[in-house]
Amino acid sequence: MDNQEQQASAADVLTQAIASKLDYLSTLQAAVQHSDDRQVYELLDQVRYYEEVKKTRSTRSVNHLAELVDNIHPQIAHYLSDKLIDYLGHIYPFFYYEEYTTGLFHIYFGNWWDRRLFGDLDVINVRFDFDKTEYQKLRDSFALESQNQRLNTAKIESISAESEQLQSLVDAQATRDNQKSELRDQLKENSGKSSLPWDSGKLKDERQRIIDQLTKLADEDEKALNAHKLIKANDDKILVLSKEDTILNYEKQSIRDSFDDFEHFEAHNASLYADYLNSLLGKSEGEVTVDD
Amino acid sequence: MINENDPSTLTTSGRLVNYNDAIKSGLETGLKFTQLMDQLIKTNDADKLVAAATELANFTLDSDFVTFPHQYSNADYYLLFMSRMLELHDQGKNVILQSRDHREELTQQLTPLGDRGTFNFRVESSENGGVFYRERATGQSLFYLNLERKMFRFNSHALTQLFIIDLHDTVPAETVKTSVKILLDFARYLKEDYGYSVDFNILDAANRQNYAVRSADLPAGVVDRLFVTAAKNDYMLTNGVNGNGAEIQLDKGVVLDIFNNQLEGQPEWVMTVHDDDQKVSWFDVLLKYPFMRDWYLEDLTDLEIASDPLIFA
Repeated sequence: MDNQEQQASAADVLTQAIASKLDYLSTLQAAVQHSDDRQVYELLDQVRYYEEVKKTRSTRSVNHLAELVDNIHPQIAHYLSDKLIDYLGHIYPFFYYEEYTTGLFHIYFGNWWDRRLFGDLDVINVRFDFDKTEYQKLRDSFALESQNQRLNTAKIESISAESEQLQSLVDAQATRDNQKSELRDQLKENSGKSSLPWDSGKLKDERQRIIDQLTKLADEDEKALNAHKLIKANDDKILVLSKEDTILNYEKQSIRDSFDDFEHFEAHNASLYADYLNSLLGKSEGEVTVDD
Repeated sequence: MINENDPSTLTTSGRLVNYNDAIKSGLETGLKFTQLMDQLIKTNDADKLVAAATELANFTLDSDFVTFPHQYSNADYYLLFMSRMLELHDQGKNVILQSRDHREELTQQLTPLGDRGTFNFRVESSENGGVFYRERATGQSLFYLNLERKMFRFNSHALTQLFIIDLHDTVPAETVKTSVKILLDFARYLKEDYGYSVDFNILDAANRQNYAVRSADLPAGVVDRLFVTAAKNDYMLTNGVNGNGAEIQLDKGVVLDIFNNQLEGQPEWVMTVHDDDQKVSWFDVLLKYPFMRDWYLEDLTDLEIASDPLIFA
């Protein structure tokens, strides 16, 4: 091959490459124009589409054409979200979505007070990206249910016990005051006793015993003084925990209403892509039937 | 030189004429008073009733030369006025006016409440004027009335203390409701018939009524507490429609909202109670829902609905 021939063939190859990109883009454009979301999804990830929807291996080799539209994913997601969120609304009636910036969606769980920000909706991949911490709390909360416990039951009980203890310290103030005055009298008596050599060791021991008891009571007095503040702080902690339990309870109830249990919920999430595209497939096939 | 204003310059007959005139004027004042009393006690014309009460509210019966040893206080004319006003609206039986033996002093009872409350008016001594309608045993001033300024203001603090706290354990909610309705109706007549400016406060059942809570910047925990306690009582506190507060659907289409009414600048937390018939007030909610009452009373320092600050400081 001479240079010219080489040049020509290189141009052919490039033309071909450009043509296939143009073809990809114009097919995508046509799909959008015809509101054929199913085809848009197919074009975005052909490998996944064939594996999960067609249940066959993609006959085509991986062509990376989808990378062409990587930088317009926000616009694509914004476009696709319309039908997807409509579909999700029927299956997950307890999720609420907020498009916080073009094509990016926060998921909120429920419409109750201080509902949780539960993660993001990945429209392009038809997938929930749940917040790991929040999701784990929900999972744990389901697991604890068999033991008739809520997520924070144990914590609330231990804080309540602490508050009760503090309260009894406060309530016992009068008793302590009596004990202290008795002990002080004993102390006076002790120091007044003649210190015969053979008694001095005993008296000293007794004196120490009284002082130890007084110190212990003084410590309790000090704790009692701070008790109200601590009890108030404990109340605030309990409120936060009860609130979380209440929210988790609403979440569990929502999941049970729609999916019976957590396992079914997770199974649905796992097959969301295939389920959604099949539903679109069903629709477009339906349209074809009507046209026929 | 004769100076009419200086008795020392007058002749004897001149002095007698002056004395006589002063007595005449004192007696005329007395006569005028009896006319107004007649009008207050007997008239069937609501306009004349209001006119008589307004004049009597500031009437000075004694003069330098004529004094009357037996007198009711100005506050008593207000009680009389209130009874008559209700009577002219066919509600005379709802209050019982009692006069004490050997003393010119009136007290009033609300018929449904019976001897659980005895009421009278207390004259405001400051230059604002007007009177406070007060429960005698507790000293709670339920409302303020000023006939000259055509003002009527309910006091949320006193209504809560007396009816939601003090009488809660011993008087059925329904009785409280019918008793308070008498006061409410009285205020309503003044507003509707005489254009009084009335603040119904926590008794206002209108949907547009914003009940401003005392703590303009409400601590977040207060609403959280309602969320938790509502859930325990099978009510769900949801996010408010306007996105900056909370809402709770009670029974029979009654919806309570609590939200920050100022999106910019100084916060102002308010509550609203909505129902299609506009018949339910915050006070009614407190009477009907024990968990709402508990919540309100626990954080009363923050949540108490504000009353007119110029009257109830």
